[in-house]
Amino acid sequence: MAVKSSRRGLNRHQQLAKGPIDLPFLMLVLLLLGIGLIMLLSASSYAALYDRAAGYNAATGTLGDPYYYFKRQALFAVLGIVGMLLASRLNYQYLRIWSVPVLLGAIVLLILVLTPLGVTQNNSTRWLRLALVAGPTYQPSEIAKLGVVLFFSARLSKRRLGSPTFSRRWPRLLEKIRYFFYWSDLAELVPYVVILAVIAALMLKEPHMSGTLLVLAAGAAILFAAGIRLGWFALGAVAMGGVAYVVIFVMGYNSSRISVWLNPWSDPTDTGYQVVQSLYAVASGGLTGLGFGLSRQKYLYLPEEQNDFIFAIICEELGFIGATLIVVLFALLVIRGYWLALHARDRFGSLLIVGFTTLLAVQVFLNMAVVVNFIPATGISLPFFSYGGTALLIQLVEMGIILSVSRQIAPPKQN
Amino acid sequence: MNRQKRKKSSSRQANRRIFRRTVFLLAVCGVAMFLPIVYKLWYWQISRHDEIEQKAVQQQTSELSVSAQRGAIYDSEGNVLAISASAYDVILSPKAISDKQQELDAAAQEAKEKGEDPGEVLDVVETIATGLAEILDGVEADSIREKCQDTSSQYKKIATKLDATTEEAVREFMDEYDLSGCIYLTPNSKRYYPYSTLAAQVIGFTNDSGGAYGIEAELDDELSGTAGLVVTAQNASGTDLLNFYQEYYDAESGSTVTLTLSTEIQKLCEDALADGIEKYDVQNGGFVIVMDCDSGAILGMASSPTYDLNDYSTIIDAALQEEVESGAMTESEALSKMWRNKALNDTYEPGSTFKSLVLAAALQEGTVSESTTFNCTGSVTVSNYTIRCSDRSGHGLQTLAEAVGNSCNPAFIAIGQSLGAETFYSYMERFGLMDSTGIDLPGESANVIWSLDNFGITELATASFGQRFTVTPISLITAINAVVNGGYLYTPHVVQSIVDADGDTTYEADTTPVRQVISEETSQRCATILEGVVTSFTGRNAYMSGYRIGGKTGTSQTLVDDEYIVSFVGFAPADDPEIIVLVAFDSPQVDAAGSNYSTTGYYISGGNMAAPVAGQLIADILDCLGYEKQYTDDDLSGVSVSMPALAGLSESEAAEALEAKDLSYRVVGDGETVTDQCPAYGATLPSGSEVILYMGEEAPNDTVTVPDLIGMTVDQAKEALSELDLYMTATGSSSYYNSTTLAYSQSTAAGTEMERGSVITVNFADSAVADYTGQEIDD
Repeated sequence: MAVKSSRRGLNRHQQLAKGPIDLPFLMLVLLLLGIGLIMLLSASSYAALYDRAAGYNAATGTLGDPYYYFKRQALFAVLGIVGMLLASRLNYQYLRIWSVPVLLGAIVLLILVLTPLGVTQNNSTRWLRLALVAGPTYQPSEIAKLGVVLFFSARLSKRRLGSPTFSRRWPRLLEKIRYFFYWSDLAELVPYVVILAVIAALMLKEPHMSGTLLVLAAGAAILFAAGIRLGWFALGAVAMGGVAYVVIFVMGYNSSRISVWLNPWSDPTDTGYQVVQSLYAVASGGLTGLGFGLSRQKYLYLPEEQNDFIFAIICEELGFIGATLIVVLFALLVIRGYWLALHARDRFGSLLIVGFTTLLAVQVFLNMAVVVNFIPATGISLPFFSYGGTALLIQLVEMGIILSVSRQIAPPKQN
Repeated sequence: MNRQKRKKSSSRQANRRIFRRTVFLLAVCGVAMFLPIVYKLWYWQISRHDEIEQKAVQQQTSELSVSAQRGAIYDSEGNVLAISASAYDVILSPKAISDKQQELDAAAQEAKEKGEDPGEVLDVVETIATGLAEILDGVEADSIREKCQDTSSQYKKIATKLDATTEEAVREFMDEYDLSGCIYLTPNSKRYYPYSTLAAQVIGFTNDSGGAYGIEAELDDELSGTAGLVVTAQNASGTDLLNFYQEYYDAESGSTVTLTLSTEIQKLCEDALADGIEKYDVQNGGFVIVMDCDSGAILGMASSPTYDLNDYSTIIDAALQEEVESGAMTESEALSKMWRNKALNDTYEPGSTFKSLVLAAALQEGTVSESTTFNCTGSVTVSNYTIRCSDRSGHGLQTLAEAVGNSCNPAFIAIGQSLGAETFYSYMERFGLMDSTGIDLPGESANVIWSLDNFGITELATASFGQRFTVTPISLITAINAVVNGGYLYTPHVVQSIVDADGDTTYEADTTPVRQVISEETSQRCATILEGVVTSFTGRNAYMSGYRIGGKTGTSQTLVDDEYIVSFVGFAPADDPEIIVLVAFDSPQVDAAGSNYSTTGYYISGGNMAAPVAGQLIADILDCLGYEKQYTDDDLSGVSVSMPALAGLSESEAAEALEAKDLSYRVVGDGETVTDQCPAYGATLPSGSEVILYMGEEAPNDTVTVPDLIGMTVDQAKEALSELDLYMTATGSSSYYNSTTLAYSQSTAAGTEMERGSVITVNFADSAVADYTGQEIDD
């Protein structure tokens, strides 16, 4: 075998990259993507009638194209699948090299967002145009997520392990400090914290709270998996809690969101409108749902029905059974992702998968939790379901990277 | 080596740590994190499904109530008395108007940005306000502007029940400015009463909350049917999603009601009432009830003052209008007065008409008989009260029939005493006076009668001639009907049948008698005596030749001096009563305080005022019912005959033909054969009249002017007419040749031009009928 391979001029890495991609993971992604597209058609068709982008004209009474969102999303889904398959063919080891420029590029783009080049929608400046002054919009924060996962995985897979060694070059006290510095991983942690802080600061400036949370979650997950001492995570959790406490209860920021979260019907027509409308949709579904295409809440009641609240329409049309099935599919995808991480050929692959999978899992969780009012409302989309071309494209490329790692998993030994 | 080993072992240790931590992440992010989501899904979708879905559906649907077609009301001949037709209400949606404005503004803005000329932007509110105010009567543009201010509302009613032309105008207006959604027309229905004032108090009317008076109120549930509902899904801007979800609950039309009233008879009743009110200068209106003797069915029921059902809040009665204008009465008092059905909403002292019941009780109990005699000295003393008779000098010795005919109070006190308080009282109960009659009309008053414990000797005395207690007219006529119809007490009713929307009869009037109060034989004896009242006594002004009318007059006191209710209850034919009529006028204006005469010169009594009206009315109704006239021997002189064709005959042949008809003749001209005749062939004229035969001459075909006959005696009237070659049929009083019998009305008004030979019917009344039942009670 080996002889044959060498004859073809393949090195060991290339050989490994020729392994089969993980079929269960691919199937789950395609399944969710398919369901997502169909649900998007149902959820968006009515809103499209009254959307100027879809051709609606109030003056002439012309209605928009009901397939407008679906068609665009389908186009990006096809591009995304191509991107995913290309990424899965790629030897992910090269990503170690790419990680630095991607991360640096992402930071540059995040800065560009804050310049007049940034595109503002709904009071947030989160978008850039593909060709800076023209073309479709995308969120640099998506690239930042990619960059963080790549960079963190690449760096942390190389971290030195074991206890630091004493040296007698330093005075005793300094030596002790130096030892603690290394023993506690503090020395190692500083660059990551700085990177996360810079990105978080830039994104909060947009503002993009939910995106920031996702980047932090992905970074933290990789640091966690890589073995950084647990104490730091405890400290991080306490610090986050403290900041949240101060922001919400001392500064009073978004306190209406909190009260609406606790009782959505306290202000059903204004601040609580989205949540109440979402819950109307969710609850209307009952056990078996109203049936596909038969949502009532999509008739302009539920805002962002094709976007952040598409899951509410799913709940309404497919009921508890259908919604739970979607949750289970996502859970299976996440579990399969971590399973692949556990079996990855090397630490880099493992951490890459942990990063992307956690990113996906947290995003799914946050989106669904908002829809069912488990957490206060924040704008976050549902992967594979929500309308948004570039986000879908990048998500599928990330899945492609996971598949690429899966190709290099050693086949189980016979006997 | 050692170092390498250590490195290897530490690397393995690190890998294990990565493995453990990844498994931990798998457990948290792959399982634990999704559990609360599933729990929350369960909580909202299963536990709170019903409650929240209901709220959701509420916002997602608009419910439109579809009013059911209200059932029609017919008279017994199938004439439409009340019917509903669809009409539309105009509703504004200020929200849609505001949305529309925003859309137009946005479109204009967009056009401007593109550099196009947006043209003039329509001011939606202003267009609607001025446009609709112009189309709709009584709707101000300002009030529309004001309603448009409330932009959260989707429902502002601005006009109701449009007629077809206005509705069309609104639709055109909507199309012109493309305002569907901003303005909409919702179906409603409008009630029409083709006969306007006819039977107003019986039929009643509907207002916004349904039937308000009369049958409309009594049978509101049956008439109104069940409203339907259209539940339509709508989007968040309130636009209906017709193809998405729509559910209909069909409206069920109301039942149709057929009344026992006859439009023709009702018209006769109302005309008779109105004529009497004018003739006697009646202040408080009056009522007429006509009942079918053998079923209790009400054939006519008139109450005055009346109103137009199509415009029920307008006072059309001149007297009421005057009182409102003078401030003697508020408008709402006046309205409720004209909406009242005097025949059953009010009670009054029945007076002498009640004596017919006392007569029946006494004959049934055998305490008096036709041979019993009564001596009236002009007054009688009952436990220290002196009660006077209408004839202060006394009626002297009278038979029972004469006592009834004279309406003699002392005689009736004696009859009452012969019955005794308990028996008397039990007959009041058996005649149904202690209960309501159960008539199928709303608001029947309770009769105000002593309790048995308080029914002492004085009460018995006054009750014997119908004073000191009050009853509703409907209960009185129901009771007196039992006196004359064979003794059967019926439940009076105006509803003949109810037929539901499917054509099934759901109700039919029950005409079985409630009970038999007196025997058929006693009843017949009463009828005979009461017929005598009309032929010979106080009721003679109700006499109509050819109709065997029986009856009893009544003049009742009220709580106010100089205000009397004059009444007459009459029935016919006396041998087998078909109809019974009660006519009453409330308070003819006296010409001076304490006077017995009305301002129009009539002696105030039931016999002088109500009886002639009732007699004519009974005759008209019997004609209307196709009843064949019956003549007594006395009547025969006044029988009508029809003029035979005489042209071409010789004088002897003509004389023979005329003799057969009991007609005399005189000849004009000297020809051989009859060339013309007056009156013409086929004309009806009283037998015994003289006709003119033209022999070889043409009959003059000029016309003559009808003279004013009112106030003339029979002879004077006949004389005046024959001078003009006119013929007279006399009706009314039974005693024509009395000097006090004067013409009371004539069928053709004075001054009318008529052909020679025409017949004029003149109604005579005895102006000297004294049946005044008022008594003075001295301590």
